[in-house]
Amino acid sequence: MTPRDENRTLPADVTLADEELEREASRLDAVWQTKRGLWGWLTTVDHKEIGRRYLVTTFLMFIAGGIEAAFMRTQLMRPGNTLLGPDKYNQLFTTHGTTMMFLFAVPIMTAMGIYFVPLMVGARSIAFPRLNAFGYWTYVVAVVFLYVSLFANTAPDVGWFAYVPLSGPQYSPGHRVDVWAQVVTFTEIAALVAAVNIIVTVFKMRAPGMSLNRVPLFVWAQLVVSFMIVFAMPSVATGSTLMLATDRAINMHWFNPAEGGDALLWQHIFWFFGHPEVYIIFLPALGFITPIVETFSRRKVFGYTALVMSNITTAFFSFGLWVHHMFATPIPELGQSLFTAASMLIAIPTGIQIFCWLATIWSGRPELRTPMLFVLGFFFTFVNGGITGVMLASVAFDKQAHDTFFVVAHLHYVLIGGGVMPLFGAFYFWFPKITGRMLSETMGKVNFWLFVIGVNVAFFPMHVLGLNGMPRRVYTYLPETGWGPLNLVATLGAYAIAVSVVVFIANVIRSLRRAPDAGPNPWDSSGLEWAVSSPPPPYNFVHTPIATSRHPLWDTAIDLPVITGLRSDRREVLLTTAFDARPESRHYHPADSIWPVYLAGCMAVVFIGSIFSPYFVLGGLGLSLIGLAGWGWTGAQDRERERVQVHQSIVDTA
Amino acid sequence: MRRLRPAGDAGELPTVTFGSKSLMWWGTLGFIVIEGWTMALLVVSYFYIRQNYETWPPLRTPYPSLVIPSINVVVMLVSCVPAYIVSNAAKRLDEPAVKRWLVVQSIAVVPTVVLRWWELWAINTRWDTTAYGSAAWTIVGFHTSLLVLDVVDTLGLTLFYFIRPMPVRSFSDTVDNSNYWYFTVALWIAIYLIVYVGPRII
Repeated sequence: MTPRDENRTLPADVTLADEELEREASRLDAVWQTKRGLWGWLTTVDHKEIGRRYLVTTFLMFIAGGIEAAFMRTQLMRPGNTLLGPDKYNQLFTTHGTTMMFLFAVPIMTAMGIYFVPLMVGARSIAFPRLNAFGYWTYVVAVVFLYVSLFANTAPDVGWFAYVPLSGPQYSPGHRVDVWAQVVTFTEIAALVAAVNIIVTVFKMRAPGMSLNRVPLFVWAQLVVSFMIVFAMPSVATGSTLMLATDRAINMHWFNPAEGGDALLWQHIFWFFGHPEVYIIFLPALGFITPIVETFSRRKVFGYTALVMSNITTAFFSFGLWVHHMFATPIPELGQSLFTAASMLIAIPTGIQIFCWLATIWSGRPELRTPMLFVLGFFFTFVNGGITGVMLASVAFDKQAHDTFFVVAHLHYVLIGGGVMPLFGAFYFWFPKITGRMLSETMGKVNFWLFVIGVNVAFFPMHVLGLNGMPRRVYTYLPETGWGPLNLVATLGAYAIAVSVVVFIANVIRSLRRAPDAGPNPWDSSGLEWAVSSPPPPYNFVHTPIATSRHPLWDTAIDLPVITGLRSDRREVLLTTAFDARPESRHYHPADSIWPVYLAGCMAVVFIGSIFSPYFVLGGLGLSLIGLAGWGWTGAQDRERERVQVHQSIVDTA
Repeated sequence: MRRLRPAGDAGELPTVTFGSKSLMWWGTLGFIVIEGWTMALLVVSYFYIRQNYETWPPLRTPYPSLVIPSINVVVMLVSCVPAYIVSNAAKRLDEPAVKRWLVVQSIAVVPTVVLRWWELWAINTRWDTTAYGSAAWTIVGFHTSLLVLDVVDTLGLTLFYFIRPMPVRSFSDTVDNSNYWYFTVALWIAIYLIVYVGPRII
């Protein structure tokens, strides 16, 4: 008996009539619908609309970063190639790294959270919808700023971690590094507001009955990662905005050894963010895997508690590894040993998770649909990357391989295997929910095989190249080095990846041109997001569902219990207690607003302007006062209608 | 589609809540953690830089002055009193008291920003002379941004109360504004001890 069958015998109680639901739905539509046209597009605060935009923009960034990679691989495919000069090559690898880490990998993971967390916890919206929109627009500023710089030949050229003193005022005059510092600032703001939003949504807006031990693992992963963002991102924001940018703009001396500053401080500050960053990318991907494995193994996941605890443990450990990026610096021996041990230790919780999924697949009835194939690709590729990670945790080995292509191979195996492969699986799995349309399985399989073969052909030879002494970040090499053939192989692999992404895009376009064919739950999956139509309506749920188990749609196969009574004449959401998710209050949900995009514009004036003159900072802050007032004022205006009702409610309660 | 079975009614639940029951309380807490953590990282960096010097402050750099910063500590602590009274009045939904004490709170918090200008110069060295100066200015400067933000928020809130009838939900936001002020003051006391008093001890 599958889990779906277990409760088919539940007595059918009183249920809501279809006409009644339709009437309620049309009332909610009128209240929650975003306005049409440009104004509606600029002012929407619908978390699904923002999430979808985030997904599209971040995917465009993946393509942009991929094109940069293709240029670099073409340059390196034979010795002495002249396609790119050293300066253009430096700009491209920096933009590639910055794009992939800051503009693609982290935001696409939070975008998935922004879209799906409210649906998965059974909420009508996200906790702070206007802040959510503000975060997206701030992120867009970063995208535009970096790419305008690239086309204006002023893109950063010091690598994605911008080590000082190279990135300091002495060795990098001009504004290229300033672009990097401010792009990072914008992305940090966007990531932080998304993290706070997801944390509060998970703690306060879960469906009644969804106590913490019933929270879906996707949501757990998003919650843990949001906490990681809260503690990791301030570190790079401190480094880039409060230290590097001020060293460059107003002659501070944080990193200037001549005046008591310290170049290594940058490495500590950067990697205290940079190492958790890897897990910030990787943990949400682990959240994608569980529902995919459950759905296509036709059983509930093995070891729910172990998976949650592993998530939390990984998050804690990830803050204790940063020095392993600095083994080539004069770190005390005791410190080296500690960080070696910690770097090896973190493999344990990750291993536990992989064994839990393997046990689930082993004891289920696996179906090799495209999302599942990508999960299997993840196992293979990521475990390889993890093993080279354990190798690099050894100081003696790390000193040999430091700054070589071995590290490039390792980080791409980990990030593509651990992040991008589950992400592609997630695209195939949730695309029907977002668009109402299925993707082609055949094209999906072509996409998968080209991708997994391409990744291994592109990156496996880099291990050997690194061990043969090829340093990273060189724009060319001599024929005598003997690195030519393996570089050619790697480049062919990169082209295969490019073709596989083109197949994916073609698949998406083909699907979008067809009539909706998905239905609410095409995979017969168990989470609450599959209880609503595809795509979901603007208000998500006509009535807030009650979570009776971890797998509500499998365990309540006929009737879904719901809470009624939320208003349908204005936007209103249900708040529940943080741990047990007992209904607590009804909360007013703000209307659409222009102020998020306006304030993001003000932030652009402040931070981009700060590169050129402090007056821009003052001007931008002055302009943002108008925005803040408008933000508060709009809220007051919206709540005005509520006043009498609130009083009435208090009187009633009393 | 699955059928929906009503199993509870939310219609009677309150629409105004205070403290950890309200979303804004959680949001405020989130930003307090982010800003507090950023400050903690700056303080760690300050002590990291400290290792590069024989003496602290560096040779030929005077100690930070204590007069203005000490006065501001007192002003800030005093300003917590109206903030506390406003917060309590807001919890009672006592609008006249909230308005009255918000005015007092506004009057109490504005001098902290004025004093802050002199406080920056009380560091007694410029940001561009040594890494010590850079660290001290960055810490005090970052706190200044939080201080100004909360003072603007307090003034804006007061203004809104007087120019239009405020919805009841705003009382909850008013409580959170006071909470944020306590955080700003507590953070300042730590910075006062580290940046202004600290060099005399370590």
